Formats: sequence, C-alpha cells, structure tokens
Amino acid sequence: MKNIYLLFLGSLLLTISCSTDLDEVPPNIASSDSLTDFEGVLNAAYYYQLGAVTPMAVMGDFRADNALMLESPYTEFDEYDPGLTAMEDQFFGPFYTALYRSILSSNNVIENSEDATQIGEAKFLRALSYFKLVKAFGDVTVILTSPDIGDIPTFDLTRKPALEVYNNVIIPDLQDAISTLGVTNVNGRASRLAAQSLLGKVYVHMGNFVSAEPQLAAVVNGAAGGGISLQPNYADIFVTDLNSEIIFATQESSSVEDEYGFSDFWSWFLGNDTKSPKPLDPSLIAAFDASPGDLRRAVNIDAVALTSPKYPQSGGPEYDWIELRLADVILLYAETLNENGAPATTVLPLLDDIRERAGLADLDPVTINTKALVRKAIYKERRLELAFEGQRWFDLVRTGTVDAEMGETINPNYYVFPIPISEILASNGVITQNPGY
Amino acid sequence: MNLKKTLTLITLLFSSIVIIAQENYPLEGKVVSTVDQMGIPGANVIIKGTSIGTSTDFDGNFQIEVKSGDILEFSYIGYVTQNITITNQTTLAISLTEDSRALDEVVVVGYGTQKKSHLTGAIAKVGGDDLAAIQVTRVDDALAGKLAGVLIQNQDGSPGADPKIQVRAASSINGNSNPLIVVDGYPISGSLATVNPNDIQSVEVLKDAASAAIYGSRGANGVILVTTKKGKRGAPSFSYNTYSSISSKYKRDRINMTAGEWANTLETGIASGRYDISEVDPDLLNYRINAYKNAPDVLAVEDWLYGNGYSTNHDFSYSGGTENANYFASLGYQNTEGIVRTEGYERLNARLNIDAELGDRFKTGLSFNGFAADRDIAGHDQRDLLRAYNISPIYHTAASIAFVQALDQQAQALGLDPFDNGYRGGDAPFNNSIYTLQPGDTAQDWHYGRSGNGIGGTGDAGPATKLDNTDRYQKTYFANVTSFLEYKIIDGLNIKAVLGADIRDTKDYFYRGLEFDSQARGNQTALDETTVQQTSTLSETTLNYNKEIGKHSVSAVAGIEFQKIYFKGTSLTGTNVPFSDIVNYNLLKPEDITVRERDETISRWSYFGRISYAFDNRYLLSASIRRDGDSRFGANNRYATFPALSIGWNVHNESFYNFDFLSTLKPRFSTGSLGSTSDLGAYNSLSLLNPQATVLGTGFLIPDDIANSDLTWQTNTETNYGIDLGFIKNRIRLSADYYTSDIEDILINQSVSEVFGTPSIRLNSGDVRSSGLELELTAGIVKKENFSWDFGANLSTVKTEITDLGGLDELPQVIYGQSGRGPVYRNYVGGEIGEMWGLETIRIVEDEYIEDPTRAIGINSSAYYVVDQNGDGVIDKTKTVEEGGDLVKIGQNTPDFYYGFNSTIKYKAFDLSFQFQGAQGGDVWNVDPIYYNSEFGGRLRDSFDANNDGIADHNGEYYLDSNNQLDAQLQDASFLALRNLTIGYNLNPELTSKVGINSARVYVASTNLLYFWGDNYTSYNPEGVNTSQSDYLGPTTYGTQIGASPIVRSFTFGFNVNF
Repeated sequence: MKNIYLLFLGSLLLTISCSTDLDEVPPNIASSDSLTDFEGVLNAAYYYQLGAVTPMAVMGDFRADNALMLESPYTEFDEYDPGLTAMEDQFFGPFYTALYRSILSSNNVIENSEDATQIGEAKFLRALSYFKLVKAFGDVTVILTSPDIGDIPTFDLTRKPALEVYNNVIIPDLQDAISTLGVTNVNGRASRLAAQSLLGKVYVHMGNFVSAEPQLAAVVNGAAGGGISLQPNYADIFVTDLNSEIIFATQESSSVEDEYGFSDFWSWFLGNDTKSPKPLDPSLIAAFDASPGDLRRAVNIDAVALTSPKYPQSGGPEYDWIELRLADVILLYAETLNENGAPATTVLPLLDDIRERAGLADLDPVTINTKALVRKAIYKERRLELAFEGQRWFDLVRTGTVDAEMGETINPNYYVFPIPISEILASNGVITQNPGY
Repeated sequence: MNLKKTLTLITLLFSSIVIIAQENYPLEGKVVSTVDQMGIPGANVIIKGTSIGTSTDFDGNFQIEVKSGDILEFSYIGYVTQNITITNQTTLAISLTEDSRALDEVVVVGYGTQKKSHLTGAIAKVGGDDLAAIQVTRVDDALAGKLAGVLIQNQDGSPGADPKIQVRAASSINGNSNPLIVVDGYPISGSLATVNPNDIQSVEVLKDAASAAIYGSRGANGVILVTTKKGKRGAPSFSYNTYSSISSKYKRDRINMTAGEWANTLETGIASGRYDISEVDPDLLNYRINAYKNAPDVLAVEDWLYGNGYSTNHDFSYSGGTENANYFASLGYQNTEGIVRTEGYERLNARLNIDAELGDRFKTGLSFNGFAADRDIAGHDQRDLLRAYNISPIYHTAASIAFVQALDQQAQALGLDPFDNGYRGGDAPFNNSIYTLQPGDTAQDWHYGRSGNGIGGTGDAGPATKLDNTDRYQKTYFANVTSFLEYKIIDGLNIKAVLGADIRDTKDYFYRGLEFDSQARGNQTALDETTVQQTSTLSETTLNYNKEIGKHSVSAVAGIEFQKIYFKGTSLTGTNVPFSDIVNYNLLKPEDITVRERDETISRWSYFGRISYAFDNRYLLSASIRRDGDSRFGANNRYATFPALSIGWNVHNESFYNFDFLSTLKPRFSTGSLGSTSDLGAYNSLSLLNPQATVLGTGFLIPDDIANSDLTWQTNTETNYGIDLGFIKNRIRLSADYYTSDIEDILINQSVSEVFGTPSIRLNSGDVRSSGLELELTAGIVKKENFSWDFGANLSTVKTEITDLGGLDELPQVIYGQSGRGPVYRNYVGGEIGEMWGLETIRIVEDEYIEDPTRAIGINSSAYYVVDQNGDGVIDKTKTVEEGGDLVKIGQNTPDFYYGFNSTIKYKAFDLSFQFQGAQGGDVWNVDPIYYNSEFGGRLRDSFDANNDGIADHNGEYYLDSNNQLDAQLQDASFLALRNLTIGYNLNPELTSKVGINSARVYVASTNLLYFWGDNYTSYNPEGVNTSQSDYLGPTTYGTQIGASPIVRSFTFGFNVNF
C-alpha cells in the first residue's frame, strides 16, 4: 500500500514540477532577433528577385509590340483599358510581394549587419527593387526599416511620388553601394560596376542625362577592369550563365524552389504557355525585316513558328534573368552622350562593336548626322539588341514613343500597371489604385 | 512503446477469465418495468457473490444456469435492485420499480458526472440507444441534426473527410471552429473519426460557457465528451455487426454539356437568333458544328469521374466482467471506395477498456484506443477536371483517333493550323502527333485542335492524363493509452490520478508526373511527402468530493493538469521528377529535393475546481474556475483565469407546485468565460527564420510571423438563459436556451499590406457579440409494449455582430476564391462575420453578342450587366456604395437558422428511425460556373463596346466579365437532407437462441436518401465551402465554393448478432 501512496505522490510532484516553465524555445531554428550573421538574409534578398522575373518579361515585351497574348483574359496585356486588373493575381500581385520581400530582407541587412559589403549589396538590391516597382507602378509605398508589430497600424502606407522614391531612396542607395562594393562580380553578386550601371540607367529613366553620363562612362571605360566584355557571339549571351557580358543577373536554378512558382519566363517567349502559343508580334518581324542580314534575327525570332527561340530549350534547363549587360549600358551611354549634345561622330562609333557582332555595317555619321537621327538609330538598335529582355515597354514609356511605335493612341494612364487590388483592400484604401484601372 | 505492455495485459486478462462449472440447471425469465410492463433490455442478472451473470435481451428475456440457494440480483440503472433466492424455480417474472431518487439520468460533465435534474448548464446528450438505432460510419453523422446548437456540415463528401462541427456561434473570427473532443476524460488530438461509433456509450456536448469553463482555454468552441462502453459484470458477451453499402453522387444529371448536346443547342440557337453568327466564317461554322455533332464515343468527364462507391464494415466487440474487473474490447474494420474515381478510405479501430477494483479503496483502469487509416484522395482538383470539354472519350478508341485525324485534314483544307502544332510537350516518350495515337491512349484537348483551329479546349492535358499521373494519399496511425488510479480517502472523497499519452502519425503523399503537364515541364512535377508525428502526454490529478447529507447534496472537484504536445516531422518536396515507371526519391537529383523540418513543443498547465450544490433537489448552484497557462502566447501574457457560475430551480419539486400537466419546470441561468487557442501555432508569438536554399547558399526568408510578445488570450464571456419543461409525466420535454456571447480581445488574423512582408498578422483586437436561440423537443408519442414512437426536433439560430475592431472601422477586405475569382469579404463594426460583398448584376450579357459562339462547348458571354449604384459613371469595385463605390452586400454563409427532426418507431420486432437535417438562408459564392461555361472563348464582339469604355454600346449599360466580384455567382446554400433512414428487424430470440444467439437484428439504411437544395444552386454540394487555399483566413473569409466533392447517397444492408 505504501508503494501506491508513493506513486500518487510521485505523479503529483511530477505534475507540479513540470508545470513551472512555459518557455518553449524552438529547437532547430533561430529566432530572427538572435541572428548575428546576415549573409542568409542577404541571400534571401537576391532570391526574392526571382518573383519579379516573369512579370518583368510579360510587362516589358507582351505589353509592348514584341509579343502578343492570344487567350482571354491574358489578351488584356495587348489592350489598354481597365481589364488588365484581371491579371494581378498572376503577375502584379506576386511581383509586388516578391519585391517588397526583397526590400525587407535588404532593410534587415542594412539595419543590422556590420559587414560593409553585405550592406552595399543590400542597398543595390533595395534600389533595384524600388526601380522595378517605380517603373511598373509609378508612385509606390516606401519602407526602409524592418516592421515591428506595434508600428504596423500607424505605418504610413501612402504611395510616395516616383520622383521622391528616386531621389530619396534609389539614388542614395546606389551611391552608397558604389562606394562600398568591389569592382568585380563574385558568384554573380552585385558589384560596383552593377551599381554604377544601374545608377546610370536610373538617371536615364529620370531623363537626367547629365547625371547619367559619368556613371555610364565609368562602366563603359571600366568594364574590362571588372572582367566585363562583349561576348563575341550574340547567341551565347543568353545560354551561358554569368558570361563576360553579364553585369548583373537574377540567377535561376531549377532546383531552387521559387516561391512564385513560375520563373520560367522563357517558356512564354517560346510559346510554351497555352495562353499564347504564338507570341511573336508581327511588328517585331517587320523590325527585323528592316534590318537585313542581322544575325540577331535568328536568335530572337522564328517568323514561321511565330515564337522567340532566344532561350531555346523548354522544360529542363533554366536561364538567368539578365538585369544589366554591357551592350545595354553601351547603348544607354551612346543615348546619353547624344542627348548631352555630343556629335554623331563621337556617339555612333560606340555602337560599332554591337553592330559588327550582329553582322551589320557601322553606322555612318555622315548620313546620320543630327541629334534626332542618332536618337532614332539608337532606339532602333535597342529594340533589336534587347528584344525579349523585358526592356521594350519601359523604353517606349521613357522615351515618349509609345503612340508612335505602337501605332495607336494609348491613354497615358495605361503606361503603368494596376496596383494589386488586395493591397488597396488591406490598407483600407490608403494605398490607391492608379487612375484608369 | 506502451503498445507492447498493453497487448501483454490484454492477453493476461483474457486468459484469466475462467468459467467455473457447477451442478446447475437452466432458469428462464423476463424482467419488466412495473410502470408499463414493458421488458427492460440490458438489465443485469447476477448470481450474488460470484462472477456469473448475464443481461436481458431486447425484450427483457434472460436465461441463466443456477442452483438452488443462489441469490439472483437484478439491477438496472434507474431501478431499485431486487434480490431473489432460488428455490428450484425454472421460470421467473421480475418486475423492477423505478428508483425515484435515481430516476435521474446521469450526464457526463467535465471531470465528472452529474444528475440530469441537478444540471444548470446547457448540455446536449445523445445516448447509446439513439446511436444504436441508426448505422453510421462516423460519430459525427449520428449527431447531424440531432442537437440544437450543433451544426454539422459535410464540406467535403469524400470518404474519410472530417465534417465541420460548429457548436453555437463561431468563437473565433479566424481559425477553426472544431470543438475540443474528450474521450473518457482524455482530450484527444484529432477528430471524432478516431472513435469507432460502435464503441460509444454516449456523447455529451457542452454548449454553454458555464459547462465548458472547466476546460478553460480549450472550451470556447464547445466540448464534446465521448464515453465509450465499459464491460459489465457477468458472463462474457460477444457482438458482431457488419454492413455493406453502395453509394453514388446525389445529383444524377450532369452540369456540363457534351459535344453532341452542344451541337443541338448551337443549331437551335442559331435558328432562333439566340446566337449571332454573322462574324463567323461559314466554312468554319459548318466544320465546327459537324465536328461537335460527329465526335464519336464522347464520354462526359462527370460520367467518368463519378461512379458507384462501395463500403464494407465489420465490428466485433467482446465484453464482460468478474467481481473485481470489467473489460470491453472491440475491433472495427471499414473499407470504402469513394464515388470519385481513385478515392477510398480504409480504417481499422481497436479499443480495450479495463476497470478493476483493488480492495475496498483502490480502483484502477486502463484504456487503449488504436486507429489506422489509409485515405486515397483524388490527385487533382475536381473543378479543373470538370472544365475539360466533353468532346472525347476519356481514352481514345479507334473511332475517335480516325475522327481527330479526319478533323485535322478538314482544318488544314480550310487553311487552319495543323493540330500537331498545338502540342507543346516534350519529345519521346511522349506522343507528339495525333497520327501516332493508339487506342487506349488518353485523349487530350490538343488532339481536337485548339480554339482557333478545332474544337479542343484549353490545350491542357486531358482529365485522365491529369488523374492518372497524380497520386495523393494520407495515412494516419493513432494510439492513445490512458490509465488511472483512484483512491478513496474517506467515504465520498476520492483522489484520482490520470496519466495518458497519445501519438498521431500522419503521412501525406503527393506525386505528379511529367505527363501531367501538357508542356511536360519538369518544374510542374512533384514528389512531396510530409510526415508529422504528434505526441502528447497528459497528467491530471483530481480530488473529488460527493456527499448527500439530508437535503444537501454537494459535489466538488479540484484538480491540476499538465500537458505537453510535441510535433516532429519532415516534409520532402521534390521537383524535376524524371519520367519513369518507378517513383522514388533516389531517382531525383539531390538538389531537387527540399527538406523542411518541423520540431515544435507546446506546454500547457492548468488548475481548476468546481463546486455544485443542490438543496432538496430544488435549488441548484454550480461554480467553477480554471487557471490556464500556455506556451504559445507572448512571454508577457501567458496566463488567464476563466470563472463560471450557474444556477437552476426545480420549481416542480416545490411543495406548493401542483400542476400535473407541467411535470417539469426548471429555469436555468449560467454565465462564464472561456478562452480560445484554436488557430495558434506553437511559435506564433515569435519571429522565426525560414531557411531556404538559394543559388547563393542558404537564405533566411522573411519570417511568417512578426514577433509579438503581447499576444494573448481572447476571452469569450457567455450568458445562457434556459428553461426545461416536461409535460404529461415528462412524456414530452422541451428545452429552450437563449445565449449571448461576447468575445473580447479577439485573436485576429488580420490581412496587412504586403509591404510588411506577410499577408497577415495576428493581433488581439476587437470584440464580437453573438447570440442565439435553441429549441429542443423530445416526445414519447406512443409507449406501449409492442409499439413505441419517439420524436425529436430542434431548431437553432445564430447571429453575430462585430462590435469593435480595436479602433478600426473595418478589417482589410479580402477576396477569397480561385485566382482572384471570389467575393469581397468584409468584416466591419456593426456587420456580421464574413459578409460577402460584390457588384449587383442585372443579367448576363445576351448570347447574341458573343463574337464566335462556336469556339467552345457550353460557351456563354461570361459578362454581366452591372449596376452603377451611385450613377457616377464608374464601376468602382473597391468601395462600398456608402464610400462612393459600387459594392453592395450580396450574402453570407451563416444560415438564418438550422434545424433537425428525427423519429424512432418500434413495432413488435421492427424498428424504423429517420433523421432530417437542414439549414436555411446561407449562401455560397460558387466559382465553378466561371470555369465550366465561360473562362475561355466567350469573347464579345468588338462592336459590343467599340471604344472599350466598359459600357455596352447597344443599351448604354455597364458590363463586366465574370472574373469580377459579381453577385451572379452567389448561390443559395440552404438544404434539407434525410441524413439517415434505418429500418431494422429483430429476429425472434426463441429461434436464434437455438443456435446460441441471444439477439440478432438485420437492417437496411440509407444516407441522404432525400436531399433538397436551392433552385439556383448549380454544383453538387451546397455544404461544400472551400477552406484549403493558402490565403484562407477563417470565418472572416468563409463561404466560397470551389469544386466541392459531391453529396453522397448510400444504401446499406447490415446485421448485428449478440452471443
């Protein structure tokens, strides 16, 4: 009997002794406030860029005159009306989410890391994210810290004017990145050249060619020092990851799970998606027809199958998304010099390497002898060189040539894309929709 | 672990049952009730001082071997025990009188039992008789429609799916509504599926706060107390129950047209001017209509996907007892093939309950419950399978191959693209041409051309390709061992220690092969396997005091409880699964497998007490208190206290009371508070790093939660006013309860801007008030020896109102549905939880405005004329009318009221029971029609709106396509179901006893024999509400339907024998 009493007592004591402590600490995972090395957080900031890849491809080429959607409601990309909101769930929502997550990861590194290079890379990625957001949506909400639960209800979610985002966030971040990052590109991480290229491009988008010039000049003149050079063969740029022409790319790997689930932008161009089995826009065929002997034609378009074989294989391999490459920067630099008043004889030779690689003759400054003609030649070169790289629509908008090039009058409301409606709802209307949507 | 010990114990116990032979003679007799002279089934007949005994059969008859001088003891709950000394009688007629003191039914309450007449809370009970009368495969089915205030909904009709059980109003505006399930005093992890319905003695549902408050933080969703059968002293008895059923989907007609039917519709429609074909090339028109008309061997996807289901069940149980120990053991097996292709469910249950008395003061017991289930789930969602066009056989025949080849030639002759160009998949081994098809190959949409050149649909792989190349299943193993030791300190005062553990092991498997995807993309393949082992240990020590001194009756309990719950698991996510006959992780590249680990611990700690006092069975009072601690809350707020008080007055027991007609008059009042933790994960108050492989190395993704050290309990304070009435000697009983419930500091899963890196955050903010009325009627209409008729009915209403949202006027609105197709869910101060808002439509845009009506089967315009509510010339989908937009309230899922009625009729050897359940006034927003009729091809002609301004040119009305939040998708979710109908026949015991069978019953039963739904409801299950998308937030977004599995109608034949 005594034993049983002891058992009782034992079970009672067990009960009481167990009960004193309710602190359960997760065994194998660290809590974010106990983190000391921010490398992993920085990697996440890179990783989230994957979510923006396919939307950039679709916005940049399908919205413009390079590619077409064939099945409703995807055809909204070729119609300039409020119907485009139907696409937010597939494109604008994930794009928006992924970029803000990249921004928050960058914020965390910038706030907490003590490693200057990590901070520099984080600033580059934050600037890149805001640049993409501003290009797509115009005014956007700005967050530069890691949110605390208490701050959320009072946080100012209003969309800040694009110019303010450029001046207060993107430009200072890139200037900081330039001053801290090494000149060369390690494992595809952001480098000083990448930050300079992006800053130059940002100024060009702002129309501030005076500020753009030194940045772009530094890249064009310093590329070799950073191991960057034009690829001899145009087709190779797209099939080999991190080749010499790549200044910065968002790297993909089929074995890295993408939160967004469909980063295979190339399959849209290849006509693999059932929404657009023949995506090639006749306008681009015409553009190549007007450039006889252009070696880029076969790489960019298949006028019979009406697809783009630029990223040639489906299914298995994966392609990096090129954010910045040397030819793009050279063309921007040429455009900048032209806008800043440099003579055609100075500007046009910059294009020679690119044209020679394409099997074309050098442009002749004797016939192309005015600022307007040079400008036109550069725009044309950009279209052919950078087709299916997510650039075209944003170039049209920035250069004010939408109506002329698209051959129709498009309400400028539709130069930007709709803010995801879930954002308007979640902010109780503080985040507003773009006019027209 | 403990399993081995248990098994050893079972063996020992069974072998210890020794039947002792003596010089006996057989004695027969019958036990009846003195009141109505009806036989008492299940009365105990025991030879005093021995372990020999039996119990009476259904009619009160018994047989026992006795010898002269034995004392036979006859006993039955609620009756005075009688002793008869045997003096060579061979027959005995025993008449038991009701024990006026014990007449009371005993009701199980939290941590104890109570006499029904002493109850002061709202507790609903379904007893063993009710459960035995009908045959169900799960306990939930037996409760459907039986209890006021308990709504049971078949969200998913597939075998093995848990229904939604909601007790009273939702206690949380996020999270689930699942009540706490306590089996024999042990709170189990998991649903009622873990308990075999054949093992159940009774089920009690604690509805009001005062009854559930002793469960504190876990009681807010209500508590379901399940009491399983225990052995009875006497000779061992053996029971076997088996049944088989055949089932099919309830609605017989198809939702979608076949190609042939569409050809007719088109032709008549063109002739009548319903369709305008002026913009369609006449050659193309003929080509298409002929193709629809002549497509051979068409098998509608629905006819292929849904078929007959079959189920077989076997249950054995074995019980008995000796002087000191009782035992009950059972084994149950169920195997079901679902009505949806590939779906099935197989289950094995085992139970052992042992109770023993060790001397005068000690009692001990051990129970084991084991459960293994294997559930096969369709590997692809039904909405997507059903949207394939009905133009093909599911697998090609020689005729269909010849047809597509000929059709392709016609298309090319018309200058259209060859069909083979529609193929977007990989190279060999995949078939990339319609000219190499073989009979038996799966038919795919592209074989019939695309919408531009043929009659094919989306270009997706066909339904058979999708279903045959996916595999999804779930395996569950569950075991629960509980033991207790009870010691009588002094008379009326006991101390009891309970130690228990349960383990639930689940494995979820999903495979999707390369062929599934029409483009054969490696990144669309999947090989996912998630295993979670949930173990829980519980220790509970209680002190019980029960005493009746004169007119005072006191019972009290005080206790302390500690529980730890561990989740350990891994999930493997594989991609780029190679094309192969063997599916195995070894074939994947290591970098294509993502491993996630789950390792969580939850600790809970509580002490509690309750005292109940009754004076002269007239004045009743009960008070309880519980203090809970839970590791899931923020470090600053882990503890909370939950008190409750209830009182009652048995007016009919007063000396001045002399209304014979109203035999019971008992007003009750209770109030109490409860907490809820239903949607909290182990570490929701912390911000945890989320590791993920990236190209650059390990990345730490944004944490799912933002740290909140103030995260704390929400408190539900509930007040219940009740009255129990009994008429004509309580032949008719009526209970009415009205309650109000105020939830404060609600745990809200509030959606926030993605700017913060997470779609939602958990906050304690806001209050909700809910109220409801519940009526429950039971009547013994006829109570004669050979004929009895019982009837029950109940009705419940629920109303909720959001009274505060922590300073906000409204929670952020959410669109919940499929790819943005869903209503706007609004939750605002003054409104109800989960209101569905949208745009008011006038009518669908007429078919004549479709640019090309021949493009796809079942096409409609997929656009609706909408009302510009404020006439401002803009259709604003983001603002309500009040705010200057056009959103209006279009519905909500909560029914206005729900109800049930049931009856059991017994006539001689026959019995008949039925059970109706209904809900009235709820809505679902049904996504399916958008996909079935109009997702592709319903394009309007350019002239409909030449300038693209959103206004129809012909009548100046606004229009929007069906991808928007339109009330056109809102459908009536009301239903009335004959949940169960059972007709049984008891074989003549005199005949069966000759073959050694005490009693035998054969029965036929049907579930959902009748099912009525609203006129405008178009899918297969109005109860089917989707909660499985990743952005589901709980009741705030409840009401969208996406491809719900159909309501199942089944017919059952079974029999039951007792030895």
